[in-house]
Amino acid sequence: MVARLGGLALVVLLFAGCGGGGAPPGVELVFRHSRMPGQDDPLPRLLRGFEREHPGVRVTHEPLPWTADVQHQFYVINLEGRAAGFDVLMVDVIWTAEFARAGWLLDLTDRWPAAERGEHFEATVATAMLDGRVWAVPWVMNVGLLYYRSDLLDASGFAPPRSYEELAHQARVVMERAADRRLGGFVWQGRQYEGLVVNVLEELWARGVELVATNGRVLVDLDGAAAALGFRRRLLTDGISPSLVTGADEEQTRREFGAGRAVFLRNWPYARRLFERPTSAVRGRVGVTALPGGGALGGAHLAINRATHHPELAWQLVRFLTSDRAQLAIAEAVGLHPTKPKLLEPALRSIFAAARPRPITPWYQTLSATMQPAFSAAITGVTPPRDALATARLQLEYFLQGP
Amino acid sequence: MTSGADRAERRLAAVLLAPALAVLAGVTLYPLAQALGLSLERRVPVFGIDEFVGLRHYAFLLRDPAFANALRVTAVFTVASVALEVVLGVAAALALATMRRWRAAGIGLLLLPWCLPGVVTARIFEWLYEPTGWLGIPGRALPALIVADVWRTTPFLALFAYARLISIPPAIGEAAAVDGAGRLATLRAITLPLLAPVLLTAALFRTLDALRAFDLMYVLTGGGPAATTETLTLYAYRHLFQTLQLGLGAAAAVLVLVIVALVAWAHVHALDATEART
Repeated sequence: MVARLGGLALVVLLFAGCGGGGAPPGVELVFRHSRMPGQDDPLPRLLRGFEREHPGVRVTHEPLPWTADVQHQFYVINLEGRAAGFDVLMVDVIWTAEFARAGWLLDLTDRWPAAERGEHFEATVATAMLDGRVWAVPWVMNVGLLYYRSDLLDASGFAPPRSYEELAHQARVVMERAADRRLGGFVWQGRQYEGLVVNVLEELWARGVELVATNGRVLVDLDGAAAALGFRRRLLTDGISPSLVTGADEEQTRREFGAGRAVFLRNWPYARRLFERPTSAVRGRVGVTALPGGGALGGAHLAINRATHHPELAWQLVRFLTSDRAQLAIAEAVGLHPTKPKLLEPALRSIFAAARPRPITPWYQTLSATMQPAFSAAITGVTPPRDALATARLQLEYFLQGP
Repeated sequence: MTSGADRAERRLAAVLLAPALAVLAGVTLYPLAQALGLSLERRVPVFGIDEFVGLRHYAFLLRDPAFANALRVTAVFTVASVALEVVLGVAAALALATMRRWRAAGIGLLLLPWCLPGVVTARIFEWLYEPTGWLGIPGRALPALIVADVWRTTPFLALFAYARLISIPPAIGEAAAVDGAGRLATLRAITLPLLAPVLLTAALFRTLDALRAFDLMYVLTGGGPAATTETLTLYAYRHLFQTLQLGLGAAAAVLVLVIVALVAWAHVHALDATEART
């Protein structure tokens, strides 16, 4: 998800209030996080608020490197050394299990009352847990959404689709009726990267197929998964998805749909604001609904470095930053969504409640990095889906063997 | 000088050289030995996995279709980009050498792409290619990357060739003209043979670079689509940093080193052969 954050955080922010002068003597907490998108970073304000509540404590916050890949590397290198260089860290929902298994995170199970966990969406809490223990507190949440052109669907008398087959059918009809030959049907993220894994997972879920079974086996239903990939391939060969899809990430697809060149778009919620800007070509003509089978869950948690010298204070900071007040401030300033239903605008609640986590496993990075080329080969027609998946399964068996 | 003094002098040389040799061994042989040792282990430090597996990683690489694919991609990328760079570089050098005015400006312009950091070049091409969609199309993405690489590194070849060209005494060309050789004949019989050793050296540098190509693919395609731009180094990177398989990544890196060493060795032999001829 951080890739998504990075994708939209196109404006480099200089942390004006960062550091501050004349620090009081006492404890210093260090907080690492990725840059906030947009131009109104709420973190300096929030952290000053925390400092006022905790006299003698100074919080330094340091942005992480730019891309998700490099952020992950940064954490692996710094946490593996068991150094206390930072106390509180932002973790992508897909990294939490890995970091927990590695022994880098403080176990928060006993600190965080079970009743309070129930305030957050269940799916996001699930990604903060491993082996029945809690390792992080949900901070911001993302869910894959289906955007559609409400004007075009209305004109054809369609309601938003409930399955990908229906979506393909509607797209075809709308495209045939359109005066503009360049109108594309369904744009999604097909570039060989994490985003592709997310899109394929959503297609699998809509068909009731799991990438990782509950017993940990990968790709048990090879034929079901091959059928899902075959369907995505046909979207491309039938012209329902334009060819740019196989090289596209969130921003490219967002621009395509935003320029009025597609009927449907799969993307994260951040795009909603951009489509409703006064200069937007599709303003007032965009609808949002749940993806068939549910959207993938993204977002980030806050966790505590196990090597911290100030576990109690770090916990106070985590509580503060994940409080209702802080989550609302972040939502208002930069549009990242809260992790609690009561804080979310009602229109999005049921969509967020239907979100599904990507496989929760310490090996997620391995899984994803292995599936990416296989999925890409299948949707571009380089390798038949079944062969691509069978190869990936063999590779994974080699990587995951042993303890 | 007596042979005794000679021997003493040689001993002194050895003593004086020893520290430098020790440092060299330390910075090259030690990491190499470490990488070799690592490649024989199944090591996932994140999860505390560390076991000796012997040559199993190498056996896996030999049967992993992704590794064979990376070999193929690297070979195509290297041969195509170096060949194009040599041809275009020589052409640019010839053009420069015949320029009477604005030569300095020409050299400056030529050097511009060479001065840009790889990631900046990659971003420029990302922007250029976006409307075409080529980076998402298997069969187009690799040629698109080759074009970017050729754009970036032709100046290097051109500069090498140009430096050699201006050091060829004009008298040779004039003599050829007196003997009735046309421009093409002069180019074929005189200029190119004189350029050959320099070109081989430059091509060797470029080949070794191309065999380790990483930044363009990393930024522009991430190895995709369908791994059609996944080079050997990107393959090694994927295992070292993404699948967390340090041992396997090290094994891949060792094989890259072996390939690079073999190619360098072959080149040096070719160079010796041309120098023996001229």
